[in-house]
Amino acid sequence: MNKVIRRIQRYQGWFGAGAAGCLLVGLYLGLIASPPDYYQGEVVRIMYIHVPLAHTSLLAYTVLFGGSVWYLWKRDPLVDNMCHAAAGLSAVFTSLALFTGMIWGKPTWNTWWTWDARLTSFTVLLLILIGYLMLRTFIDDPEREARFAAVVAIIGFVDLPIVHFSVEWWRTLHQPQSFSLRGVSISSDLLFPLIMMSIGMSLLFTYMLLVRTQMLYLTNLLHAKKGRLLGQFHLSKADS
Amino acid sequence: MTFLKVIRWMVWKDLISEVRSRETISSMFFFALIVILVFSFSFSMDQQAARELIAGIIWVAFVFTGIIGLGRSFSVELQNDCLEFLQMSPASKGAMYLGKVMANLIFMLTVEIILFPMFVIFFNLDVIEEIHILLLIFFLATFGLSAVGTLFSALTVQIRAREVMLPILLLPLVVPVMIAAVEATKGALNGDPLAGYWQWLELLAIFNVVFTVVSFWMFEFVMDS
Repeated sequence: MNKVIRRIQRYQGWFGAGAAGCLLVGLYLGLIASPPDYYQGEVVRIMYIHVPLAHTSLLAYTVLFGGSVWYLWKRDPLVDNMCHAAAGLSAVFTSLALFTGMIWGKPTWNTWWTWDARLTSFTVLLLILIGYLMLRTFIDDPEREARFAAVVAIIGFVDLPIVHFSVEWWRTLHQPQSFSLRGVSISSDLLFPLIMMSIGMSLLFTYMLLVRTQMLYLTNLLHAKKGRLLGQFHLSKADS
Repeated sequence: MTFLKVIRWMVWKDLISEVRSRETISSMFFFALIVILVFSFSFSMDQQAARELIAGIIWVAFVFTGIIGLGRSFSVELQNDCLEFLQMSPASKGAMYLGKVMANLIFMLTVEIILFPMFVIFFNLDVIEEIHILLLIFFLATFGLSAVGTLFSALTVQIRAREVMLPILLLPLVVPVMIAAVEATKGALNGDPLAGYWQWLELLAIFNVVFTVVSFWMFEFVMDS
Protein backbone atom coordinates (compact mmCIF):
# COMPACT_ATOMS: atom_id res chain seq x y z
CA MET A 1 0.00 0.00 0.00
CA ASN A 2 0.94 3.61 -0.48
CA LYS A 3 3.66 4.87 1.88
CA VAL A 4 1.82 8.11 2.58
CA ILE A 5 -1.32 6.22 3.59
CA ARG A 6 0.63 4.09 6.04
CA ARG A 7 2.15 7.17 7.59
CA ILE A 8 -1.28 8.80 7.87
CA GLN A 9 -2.63 5.73 9.61
CA ARG A 10 0.20 5.84 12.12
CA TYR A 11 -0.17 9.51 13.07
CA GLN A 12 -3.83 10.39 12.58
CA GLY A 13 -4.75 9.40 16.14
CA TRP A 14 -2.65 12.23 17.55
CA PHE A 15 -4.68 14.79 15.62
CA GLY A 16 -7.92 13.25 16.85
CA ALA A 17 -6.72 13.25 20.46
CA GLY A 18 -5.40 16.81 20.19
CA ALA A 19 -8.71 17.98 18.72
CA ALA A 20 -10.71 16.30 21.49
CA GLY A 21 -8.45 17.83 24.17
CA CYS A 22 -8.55 21.37 22.81
CA LEU A 23 -12.29 21.26 22.15
CA LEU A 24 -13.09 19.96 25.63
CA VAL A 25 -10.93 22.61 27.33
CA GLY A 26 -12.29 25.29 25.00
CA LEU A 27 -15.90 24.28 25.59
CA TYR A 28 -15.42 24.26 29.38
CA LEU A 29 -13.76 27.69 29.31
CA GLY A 30 -16.23 29.13 26.85
CA LEU A 31 -19.50 27.74 28.12
CA ILE A 32 -18.83 27.61 31.87
CA ALA A 33 -15.75 29.47 33.05
CA SER A 34 -15.83 32.66 30.96
CA PRO A 35 -18.00 35.62 32.00
CA PRO A 36 -21.07 36.57 29.94
CA ASP A 37 -20.72 39.50 27.57
CA TYR A 38 -21.60 42.98 28.85
CA TYR A 39 -23.99 43.73 25.99
CA GLN A 40 -25.05 40.34 24.69
CA GLY A 41 -25.21 38.39 27.97
CA GLU A 42 -25.19 34.59 27.70
CA VAL A 43 -26.01 34.73 24.02
CA VAL A 44 -22.37 35.50 23.24
CA ARG A 45 -21.37 31.93 24.08
CA ILE A 46 -22.38 30.70 20.65
CA MET A 47 -19.42 32.73 19.38
CA TYR A 48 -17.12 29.96 20.67
CA ILE A 49 -18.69 27.61 18.16
CA HIS A 50 -19.57 29.99 15.34
CA VAL A 51 -16.25 31.79 14.88
CA PRO A 52 -14.06 28.64 14.91
CA LEU A 53 -16.41 27.00 12.41
CA ALA A 54 -16.09 29.98 10.10
CA HIS A 55 -12.30 30.03 10.44
CA THR A 56 -12.08 26.32 9.80
CA SER A 57 -14.24 26.48 6.70
CA LEU A 58 -11.84 29.03 5.23
CA LEU A 59 -8.87 26.91 6.30
CA ALA A 60 -10.47 23.95 4.53
CA TYR A 61 -10.97 25.96 1.36
CA THR A 62 -7.34 27.10 1.52
CA VAL A 63 -6.25 23.47 1.79
CA LEU A 64 -8.50 22.69 -1.18
CA PHE A 65 -6.88 25.49 -3.19
CA GLY A 66 -3.33 24.44 -2.28
CA GLY A 67 -4.14 20.83 -3.09
CA SER A 68 -5.69 21.77 -6.44
CA VAL A 69 -2.61 23.71 -7.53
CA TRP A 70 -0.47 20.84 -6.35
CA TYR A 71 -2.59 18.34 -8.26
CA LEU A 72 -2.40 20.25 -11.55
CA TRP A 73 1.35 20.44 -11.09
CA LYS A 74 2.17 16.86 -10.01
CA ARG A 75 -0.98 14.91 -11.01
CA ASP A 76 -0.84 12.75 -7.90
CA PRO A 77 -4.23 11.01 -7.44
CA LEU A 78 -3.81 10.93 -3.67
CA VAL A 79 -3.68 14.74 -3.67
CA ASP A 80 -6.94 14.71 -5.62
CA ASN A 81 -8.49 12.50 -2.95
CA MET A 82 -7.38 15.05 -0.38
CA CYS A 83 -8.98 17.87 -2.39
CA HIS A 84 -12.22 15.94 -2.64
CA ALA A 85 -12.16 15.37 1.13
CA ALA A 86 -11.31 19.01 1.89
CA ALA A 87 -14.15 20.26 -0.34
CA GLY A 88 -16.73 18.10 1.39
CA LEU A 89 -15.50 19.18 4.82
CA SER A 90 -15.37 22.81 3.81
CA ALA A 91 -19.00 22.57 2.69
CA VAL A 92 -20.00 21.04 6.02
CA PHE A 93 -18.12 23.64 8.09
CA THR A 94 -19.49 26.48 5.95
CA SER A 95 -23.09 25.34 6.35
CA LEU A 96 -22.61 24.89 10.10
CA ALA A 97 -21.07 28.37 10.35
CA LEU A 98 -24.04 29.84 8.47
CA PHE A 99 -26.48 27.89 10.62
CA THR A 100 -24.93 28.92 13.96
CA GLY A 101 -24.70 32.46 12.62
CA MET A 102 -28.44 32.46 12.00
CA ILE A 103 -29.08 31.27 15.56
CA TRP A 104 -26.80 34.02 16.85
CA GLY A 105 -28.33 36.62 14.57
CA LYS A 106 -31.89 36.16 15.82
CA PRO A 107 -31.34 37.54 19.38
CA THR A 108 -28.63 40.09 18.50
CA TRP A 109 -29.80 41.53 15.17
CA ASN A 110 -33.41 40.46 15.61
CA THR A 111 -33.43 38.64 12.28
CA TRP A 112 -32.46 35.19 11.07
CA TRP A 113 -31.01 36.41 7.87
CA THR A 114 -29.76 39.59 6.31
CA TRP A 115 -27.83 40.25 3.12
CA ASP A 116 -24.81 41.51 4.97
CA ALA A 117 -21.30 41.27 3.53
CA ARG A 118 -19.95 38.28 5.35
CA LEU A 119 -23.18 36.30 5.25
CA THR A 120 -23.44 36.84 1.54
CA SER A 121 -19.85 35.89 0.80
CA PHE A 122 -20.15 32.74 2.91
CA THR A 123 -23.31 31.85 1.01
CA VAL A 124 -21.46 32.31 -2.26
CA LEU A 125 -18.63 30.16 -0.89
CA LEU A 126 -21.13 27.41 -0.04
CA LEU A 127 -22.66 27.62 -3.53
CA ILE A 128 -19.24 27.32 -5.15
CA LEU A 129 -18.44 24.27 -3.01
CA ILE A 130 -21.77 22.62 -3.82
CA GLY A 131 -21.12 23.28 -7.52
CA TYR A 132 -17.69 21.71 -7.11
CA LEU A 133 -19.08 18.60 -5.44
CA MET A 134 -21.87 18.27 -8.01
CA LEU A 135 -19.41 18.62 -10.85
CA ARG A 136 -17.42 15.69 -9.50
CA THR A 137 -20.45 13.43 -9.65
CA PHE A 138 -21.09 14.28 -13.30
CA ILE A 139 -17.76 13.09 -14.69
CA ASP A 140 -17.05 9.42 -15.34
CA ASP A 141 -13.36 9.53 -16.15
CA PRO A 142 -11.50 9.92 -12.80
CA GLU A 143 -8.51 11.70 -14.31
CA ARG A 144 -10.72 14.28 -15.99
CA GLU A 145 -12.82 14.60 -12.83
CA ALA A 146 -9.73 15.47 -10.80
CA ARG A 147 -8.44 17.94 -13.39
CA PHE A 148 -11.73 19.80 -13.87
CA ALA A 149 -12.43 19.89 -10.14
CA ALA A 150 -9.02 21.46 -9.52
CA VAL A 151 -9.74 24.15 -12.13
CA VAL A 152 -13.09 24.99 -10.50
CA ALA A 153 -11.53 25.12 -7.03
CA ILE A 154 -8.76 27.48 -8.15
CA ILE A 155 -11.14 29.83 -9.97
CA GLY A 156 -13.45 29.84 -6.95
CA PHE A 157 -10.61 30.61 -4.55
CA VAL A 158 -9.45 33.55 -6.65
CA ASP A 159 -13.04 34.78 -6.81
CA LEU A 160 -13.67 34.79 -3.06
CA PRO A 161 -11.78 37.99 -2.11
CA ILE A 162 -13.43 39.83 -5.02
CA VAL A 163 -16.85 38.58 -3.94
CA HIS A 164 -16.07 39.68 -0.40
CA PHE A 165 -15.01 43.21 -1.36
CA SER A 166 -17.89 43.71 -3.75
CA VAL A 167 -20.46 42.64 -1.19
CA GLU A 168 -18.76 44.70 1.50
CA TRP A 169 -19.15 47.85 -0.59
CA TRP A 170 -22.67 46.82 -1.37
CA ARG A 171 -23.87 46.67 2.26
CA THR A 172 -22.48 46.01 5.69
CA LEU A 173 -24.07 45.23 9.03
CA HIS A 174 -21.89 42.50 10.52
CA GLN A 175 -19.99 43.38 13.70
CA PRO A 176 -16.31 44.03 13.01
CA GLN A 177 -14.05 41.00 13.24
CA SER A 178 -13.00 40.18 16.78
CA PHE A 179 -9.40 39.76 15.93
CA SER A 180 -7.55 41.08 12.95
CA LEU A 181 -3.97 41.93 12.14
CA ARG A 182 -4.37 45.46 13.44
CA GLY A 183 -5.13 44.48 17.00
CA VAL A 184 -7.49 42.67 19.27
CA SER A 185 -10.89 44.12 20.10
CA ILE A 186 -12.02 41.48 22.56
CA SER A 187 -11.25 40.96 26.24
CA SER A 188 -8.72 38.24 27.03
CA ASP A 189 -11.25 36.31 29.15
CA LEU A 190 -13.22 35.70 25.99
CA LEU A 191 -10.26 35.50 23.65
CA PHE A 192 -8.43 32.57 25.24
CA PRO A 193 -11.31 30.07 24.97
CA LEU A 194 -11.95 31.31 21.45
CA ILE A 195 -8.37 30.60 20.42
CA MET A 196 -8.55 27.22 22.12
CA MET A 197 -11.71 26.37 20.18
CA SER A 198 -10.19 27.59 16.90
CA ILE A 199 -7.14 25.38 17.37
CA GLY A 200 -9.33 22.45 18.39
CA MET A 201 -11.60 22.90 15.39
CA SER A 202 -8.62 23.09 13.01
CA LEU A 203 -7.20 19.90 14.51
CA LEU A 204 -10.60 18.24 14.18
CA PHE A 205 -10.66 19.28 10.54
CA THR A 206 -7.17 17.87 10.00
CA TYR A 207 -8.17 14.58 11.60
CA MET A 208 -11.32 14.31 9.52
CA LEU A 209 -9.37 15.25 6.40
CA LEU A 210 -6.89 12.44 6.99
CA VAL A 211 -9.61 9.86 7.60
CA ARG A 212 -11.70 10.94 4.64
CA THR A 213 -8.72 11.11 2.27
CA GLN A 214 -7.82 7.56 3.22
CA MET A 215 -11.39 6.45 2.70
CA LEU A 216 -11.62 7.95 -0.79
CA TYR A 217 -8.22 6.53 -1.68
CA LEU A 218 -9.11 3.04 -0.49
CA THR A 219 -12.46 3.15 -2.29
CA ASN A 220 -10.67 3.92 -5.55
CA LEU A 221 -8.13 1.20 -4.91
CA LEU A 222 -10.86 -1.32 -4.11
CA HIS A 223 -12.76 -0.56 -7.31
CA ALA A 224 -9.59 -0.90 -9.32
CA LYS A 225 -8.47 -4.18 -7.76
CA LYS A 226 -11.95 -5.65 -7.90
CA GLY A 227 -12.49 -5.06 -11.58
CA ARG A 228 -8.88 -5.34 -12.64
CA LEU A 229 -9.67 -2.28 -14.69
CA LEU A 230 -6.57 -0.44 -13.66
CA GLY A 231 -6.52 1.59 -16.84
CA GLN A 232 -9.85 3.17 -16.02
CA PHE A 233 -8.90 4.28 -12.54
CA HIS A 234 -6.72 7.09 -11.49
CA LEU A 235 -4.08 5.50 -9.26
CA SER A 236 -0.54 6.43 -8.46
CA LYS A 237 2.22 4.39 -10.05
CA ALA A 238 3.11 2.75 -6.76
CA ASP A 239 -0.25 0.97 -6.62
CA SER A 240 -0.85 -0.11 -10.19
CA MET B 1 0.68 29.92 -36.55
CA THR B 2 1.46 32.90 -34.44
CA PHE B 3 -0.46 33.68 -31.28
CA LEU B 4 -2.38 36.63 -32.74
CA LYS B 5 -3.25 34.71 -35.88
CA VAL B 6 -4.84 31.94 -33.82
CA ILE B 7 -6.96 34.48 -31.96
CA ARG B 8 -8.01 36.08 -35.24
CA TRP B 9 -8.94 32.77 -36.83
CA MET B 10 -10.94 31.64 -33.81
CA VAL B 11 -12.98 34.85 -33.85
CA TRP B 12 -13.35 34.73 -37.61
CA LYS B 13 -14.48 31.10 -37.59
CA ASP B 14 -17.13 31.76 -34.93
CA LEU B 15 -18.38 34.89 -36.68
CA ILE B 16 -18.58 33.17 -40.07
CA SER B 17 -20.51 30.21 -38.74
CA GLU B 18 -22.82 32.55 -36.85
CA VAL B 19 -23.43 34.69 -39.93
CA ARG B 20 -24.26 31.55 -41.90
CA SER B 21 -26.49 29.82 -39.35
CA ARG B 22 -27.77 32.80 -37.31
CA GLU B 23 -28.56 30.36 -34.51
CA THR B 24 -26.85 31.77 -31.44
CA ILE B 25 -27.70 35.44 -31.69
CA SER B 26 -31.31 34.87 -32.71
CA SER B 27 -31.96 32.39 -29.91
CA MET B 28 -30.32 34.71 -27.39
CA PHE B 29 -32.35 37.63 -28.66
CA PHE B 30 -35.73 35.93 -28.47
CA PHE B 31 -34.97 34.45 -25.09
CA ALA B 32 -34.10 37.93 -23.79
CA LEU B 33 -37.29 39.34 -25.25
CA ILE B 34 -39.29 36.71 -23.37
CA VAL B 35 -37.41 37.52 -20.16
CA ILE B 36 -38.34 41.19 -20.53
CA LEU B 37 -41.98 40.26 -21.06
CA VAL B 38 -42.01 37.95 -18.06
CA PHE B 39 -40.54 40.68 -15.91
CA SER B 40 -43.05 43.29 -17.00
CA PHE B 41 -45.88 40.84 -16.17
CA SER B 42 -44.39 39.88 -12.79
CA PHE B 43 -43.96 43.41 -11.47
CA SER B 44 -46.68 45.94 -12.05
CA MET B 45 -44.42 48.91 -12.34
CA ASP B 46 -45.07 52.61 -12.20
CA GLN B 47 -42.43 55.14 -13.17
CA GLN B 48 -40.92 55.24 -9.67
CA ALA B 49 -40.70 51.46 -9.16
CA ALA B 50 -39.30 51.02 -12.66
CA ARG B 51 -36.43 53.35 -11.85
CA GLU B 52 -35.56 51.30 -8.76
CA LEU B 53 -35.78 47.88 -10.40
CA ILE B 54 -34.75 48.44 -13.98
CA ALA B 55 -30.98 48.04 -13.50
CA GLY B 56 -31.51 44.64 -11.91
CA ILE B 57 -33.94 43.55 -14.60
CA ILE B 58 -31.58 44.58 -17.38
CA TRP B 59 -28.73 42.58 -15.90
CA VAL B 60 -30.75 39.48 -15.08
CA ALA B 61 -31.90 39.46 -18.70
CA PHE B 62 -28.36 40.02 -19.99
CA VAL B 63 -26.77 37.38 -17.78
CA PHE B 64 -29.38 34.73 -18.61
CA THR B 65 -29.08 35.34 -22.32
CA GLY B 66 -25.32 35.42 -21.92
CA ILE B 67 -25.43 31.94 -20.42
CA ILE B 68 -27.39 30.69 -23.43
CA GLY B 69 -24.77 32.11 -25.76
CA LEU B 70 -21.87 30.81 -23.69
CA GLY B 71 -23.34 27.33 -23.54
CA ARG B 72 -23.70 27.23 -27.30
CA SER B 73 -20.19 28.56 -27.80
CA PHE B 74 -18.64 25.16 -27.13
CA SER B 75 -21.60 22.82 -27.66
CA VAL B 76 -21.51 23.71 -31.37
CA GLU B 77 -17.94 22.42 -31.37
CA LEU B 78 -19.25 18.94 -30.56
CA GLN B 79 -20.59 18.59 -34.10
CA ASN B 80 -18.13 16.79 -36.36
CA ASP B 81 -15.81 16.32 -33.33
CA CYS B 82 -14.50 19.85 -33.70
CA LEU B 83 -13.74 19.95 -29.99
CA GLU B 84 -11.33 17.05 -30.28
CA PHE B 85 -9.56 18.74 -33.17
CA LEU B 86 -9.21 21.87 -31.09
CA GLN B 87 -7.76 19.79 -28.28
CA MET B 88 -5.30 18.02 -30.56
CA SER B 89 -4.29 21.13 -32.43
CA PRO B 90 -0.73 22.29 -31.80
CA ALA B 91 -1.91 25.92 -31.72
CA SER B 92 -1.68 27.76 -28.42
CA LYS B 93 -4.60 26.91 -26.14
CA GLY B 94 -4.38 30.34 -24.57
CA ALA B 95 -4.89 31.95 -27.97
CA MET B 96 -7.93 29.75 -28.55
CA TYR B 97 -9.29 30.89 -25.21
CA LEU B 98 -8.81 34.57 -26.04
CA GLY B 99 -10.39 34.05 -29.46
CA LYS B 100 -13.44 32.42 -27.90
CA VAL B 101 -13.68 35.17 -25.27
CA MET B 102 -13.69 37.81 -28.01
CA ALA B 103 -16.28 35.93 -30.09
CA ASN B 104 -18.57 35.49 -27.08
CA LEU B 105 -18.07 39.13 -26.16
CA ILE B 106 -19.11 40.18 -29.66
CA PHE B 107 -22.22 37.95 -29.59
CA MET B 108 -23.33 39.11 -26.17
CA LEU B 109 -22.67 42.79 -26.85
CA THR B 110 -24.58 42.59 -30.13
CA VAL B 111 -27.61 41.16 -28.35
CA GLU B 112 -27.31 43.73 -25.55
CA ILE B 113 -27.13 46.62 -27.99
CA ILE B 114 -30.23 45.39 -29.82
CA LEU B 115 -32.07 44.81 -26.55
CA PHE B 116 -31.24 47.99 -24.71
CA PRO B 117 -33.45 50.25 -26.88
CA MET B 118 -36.33 47.90 -26.08
CA PHE B 119 -35.78 48.44 -22.38
CA VAL B 120 -35.72 52.17 -23.06
CA ILE B 121 -39.05 51.97 -24.87
CA PHE B 122 -40.87 49.48 -22.64
CA PHE B 123 -39.78 51.03 -19.35
CA ASN B 124 -39.68 54.71 -20.34
CA LEU B 125 -36.03 55.31 -19.56
CA ASP B 126 -34.19 58.54 -20.10
CA VAL B 127 -30.69 57.67 -21.24
CA ILE B 128 -29.46 60.07 -23.89
CA GLU B 129 -26.89 61.90 -21.75
CA GLU B 130 -25.47 58.81 -20.10
CA ILE B 131 -25.29 56.55 -23.13
CA HIS B 132 -21.48 56.52 -23.42
CA ILE B 133 -21.00 55.54 -19.78
CA LEU B 134 -23.69 52.86 -20.09
CA LEU B 135 -21.91 51.40 -23.08
CA LEU B 136 -18.69 51.31 -21.05
CA ILE B 137 -20.49 49.46 -18.22
CA PHE B 138 -21.98 46.98 -20.70
CA PHE B 139 -18.58 46.35 -22.22
CA LEU B 140 -16.76 45.83 -18.91
CA ALA B 141 -19.40 43.60 -17.32
CA THR B 142 -19.91 41.53 -20.47
CA PHE B 143 -16.18 41.04 -20.80
CA GLY B 144 -16.10 39.69 -17.23
CA LEU B 145 -18.96 37.31 -17.98
CA SER B 146 -17.28 36.16 -21.14
CA ALA B 147 -13.87 35.67 -19.50
CA VAL B 148 -15.19 33.28 -16.83
CA GLY B 149 -18.04 31.89 -18.91
CA THR B 150 -15.86 30.80 -21.81
CA LEU B 151 -13.67 28.72 -19.51
CA PHE B 152 -16.68 27.07 -17.88
CA SER B 153 -18.36 26.52 -21.23
CA ALA B 154 -15.30 24.59 -22.40
CA LEU B 155 -15.33 22.65 -19.13
CA THR B 156 -19.00 21.78 -18.88
CA VAL B 157 -19.30 20.75 -22.52
CA GLN B 158 -17.11 17.75 -21.71
CA ILE B 159 -19.27 16.40 -18.88
CA ARG B 160 -22.73 14.94 -18.32
CA ALA B 161 -25.64 17.31 -17.54
CA ARG B 162 -23.81 20.20 -19.18
CA GLU B 163 -26.84 22.48 -19.55
CA VAL B 164 -27.40 22.31 -15.79
CA MET B 165 -23.82 22.61 -14.64
CA LEU B 166 -22.89 25.75 -16.61
CA PRO B 167 -25.23 28.11 -14.72
CA ILE B 168 -24.66 26.32 -11.40
CA LEU B 169 -20.92 26.85 -11.64
CA LEU B 170 -20.97 30.21 -13.37
CA LEU B 171 -23.59 32.24 -11.49
CA PRO B 172 -21.99 32.20 -8.01
CA LEU B 173 -18.65 33.17 -9.52
CA VAL B 174 -20.03 36.20 -11.35
CA VAL B 175 -21.74 37.64 -8.27
CA PRO B 176 -19.23 40.54 -8.19
CA VAL B 177 -19.92 41.31 -11.85
CA MET B 178 -23.65 41.28 -11.23
CA ILE B 179 -23.44 43.57 -8.20
CA ALA B 180 -21.03 46.01 -9.84
CA ALA B 181 -22.98 46.12 -13.12
CA VAL B 182 -26.33 46.66 -11.41
CA GLU B 183 -25.02 49.36 -9.07
CA ALA B 184 -23.18 51.19 -11.84
CA THR B 185 -26.16 50.98 -14.20
CA LYS B 186 -28.45 52.23 -11.47
CA GLY B 187 -26.13 55.17 -10.87
CA ALA B 188 -25.91 56.02 -14.55
CA LEU B 189 -29.67 55.76 -15.12
CA ASN B 190 -30.37 57.98 -12.11
CA GLY B 191 -28.00 60.57 -13.57
CA ASP B 192 -25.71 60.50 -10.51
CA PRO B 193 -22.25 62.08 -10.82
CA LEU B 194 -19.71 59.63 -12.20
CA ALA B 195 -17.61 59.74 -9.01
CA GLY B 196 -20.55 58.19 -7.12
CA TYR B 197 -20.26 54.85 -8.93
CA TRP B 198 -16.76 54.98 -10.39
CA GLN B 199 -15.55 52.37 -7.87
CA TRP B 200 -17.85 49.78 -9.46
CA LEU B 201 -16.23 50.33 -12.84
CA GLU B 202 -12.85 49.86 -11.18
CA LEU B 203 -14.06 46.64 -9.59
CA LEU B 204 -15.22 45.36 -12.99
CA ALA B 205 -11.84 46.23 -14.51
CA ILE B 206 -9.99 44.40 -11.72
CA PHE B 207 -12.27 41.36 -12.09
CA ASN B 208 -11.65 41.28 -15.83
CA VAL B 209 -7.88 41.46 -15.52
CA VAL B 210 -7.70 38.83 -12.77
CA PHE B 211 -10.01 36.36 -14.46
CA THR B 212 -8.63 36.77 -17.94
CA VAL B 213 -5.20 35.90 -16.59
CA VAL B 214 -6.31 33.00 -14.39
CA SER B 215 -8.68 31.53 -16.99
CA PHE B 216 -6.04 31.91 -19.70
CA TRP B 217 -3.78 29.73 -17.58
CA MET B 218 -6.53 27.26 -16.57
CA PHE B 219 -7.83 26.80 -20.11
CA GLU B 220 -4.88 24.58 -20.93
CA PHE B 221 -5.94 22.11 -18.23
CA VAL B 222 -9.53 22.15 -19.45
CA MET B 223 -8.55 21.48 -23.07
CA ASP B 224 -6.03 18.80 -22.17
CA SER B 225 -7.00 15.61 -24.00
